[in-house]
Amino acid sequence: MEESERDQSAAAKPDSYEVAVERLEEIIDRLDSGQAGLRETLDLCKEGKELVTYCAAELDEVGEGLKELRLDDLAAKLDTASEVG
Amino acid sequence: MEESRVAPSAPATPDLPGPFAVGVYARRLQGWMRERARVRLIGEVTGVGRSKVQAYFELRDSEGAVPCAIWLNDLEKAGLDGSSLRDGAEVVISGGLDYYPGGGQASPNFCFRATHVRLAGEGDLIARLEALRKQMRAEGLFELQKQLHRPLLPKAIGVVTAERGAARRDLLAALERRGWGGSLIWGFAPVQDRHAAPAIGRALQDLAARPEVEAIVVTRGGGSLADLWAFCDETLCRTVAMLRVPVISAVGHERDSTLIDDVVAVACSTPTHAAEAAVPLDCLAAREGLERCALALRRAGEGAIGTRSRHLGALARGPARALQRQRSILNQKIREIRAAAERGLVERAASQRRVGTLVLERARRRAAGADMEKRREALHRAAVALRAHEPERTLERGYALVEGEEGEPLASAAEAGAAERISLRFSDGRVRARPERGGEA
Repeated sequence: MEESERDQSAAAKPDSYEVAVERLEEIIDRLDSGQAGLRETLDLCKEGKELVTYCAAELDEVGEGLKELRLDDLAAKLDTASEVG
Repeated sequence: MEESRVAPSAPATPDLPGPFAVGVYARRLQGWMRERARVRLIGEVTGVGRSKVQAYFELRDSEGAVPCAIWLNDLEKAGLDGSSLRDGAEVVISGGLDYYPGGGQASPNFCFRATHVRLAGEGDLIARLEALRKQMRAEGLFELQKQLHRPLLPKAIGVVTAERGAARRDLLAALERRGWGGSLIWGFAPVQDRHAAPAIGRALQDLAARPEVEAIVVTRGGGSLADLWAFCDETLCRTVAMLRVPVISAVGHERDSTLIDDVVAVACSTPTHAAEAAVPLDCLAAREGLERCALALRRAGEGAIGTRSRHLGALARGPARALQRQRSILNQKIREIRAAAERGLVERAASQRRVGTLVLERARRRAAGADMEKRREALHRAAVALRAHEPERTLERGYALVEGEEGEPLASAAEAGAAERISLRFSDGRVRARPERGGEA
């Protein structure tokens, strides 16, 4: 039962970057405490690595250079699209 | 219109005073109005018009408006030239109600007759701002934006500002320093005139309507409170309060305080701070932090296995070590026992030697006592007895011993008769003889 819950929590994708970071900090604190058993440590490491991957991907999304857009242009495109439609 | 339709169907004329001549009524109305209290009003001038003798305008704010008029003489006395009384100007007027009853050809006209006008000063604006602030706070409008979730790492943010302002440059520089490279949607709007507040409000609403926008910054540089007055507009501030997207303001300098600052989720003193509030995460630092996390996780995983495997190894070696320890203890015991045994044997041998010596000594002492005397006597007796049996004793008594040539005793006559030569041994010497043949035989 606990096993399956743990697997699910490890596999679940975080809702947001802050949620992921918060969980990651919890994991590091738990590992630093030295109180986690072997199985728990390995599970936490696995979950932590997935969170790191997720956070890195989120950072990558805003790491490719700032894109500047104008609200007027976006509104104009929207109007054109609706007219064509 | 409604009333005019209702009137014909109304029942009989109500029992009221009159009817009076309307001109008389109009005159009395004028007198009544002019007796009303004289007051000061503050608001924005709109729809300025002039006749030869007076200027007309409306004084309005978001709640309502009053038609106003001022004689040009009074306007001149107030020290305002024609350009000062313009649309959009915030003014304070002094005066009271007036009513022009019209005439046979002229239309009646109601207005607030201003006898003095001046541009609103900082104090007037602050007083008005405080009144608005108090009212909106009481309505709970300051809390709505602050309850919204602000994402740590938005992918897209909107910015409302002047297209040619320093705020735009500062904002971009700050975002770049944080290493943020998401989508930035500009909603350019005028930030200082009577059209500013509605335009800013529209831009904010349009940006908030875009699903990808997760935060909006509204910013402009510093100025007087009058310059920033658009950001105290009640309609704009009520619009901001109701937006679903968190708004971050950076209007004016640190000491400036506009109404929009009270309404927004976060009020900042500069565009730089606003950028940091819109993107709370320093992306560059976050990347470094993530690398540290990854390293910590790797070490924790490897450490957990390594430590435990070493522990297991130590446990596995435990029994062998225990055996070795016991074996060493046993060997030591054996060595100790051997050493002790050897020491015991030596001591025992020495002890036995000491006992033997003691016994022998005692025996020797015993032997050396009365026993020795007895033994001497016995020995003497034996020697006497032995001497009695010696052949010399017999010879001394006169007997002779017959011996052969070799000295061997000849104990019979046959042996002596057979020998060539014989020797007769007496106690005092020998006599050689030759037996005679055939004599006795």
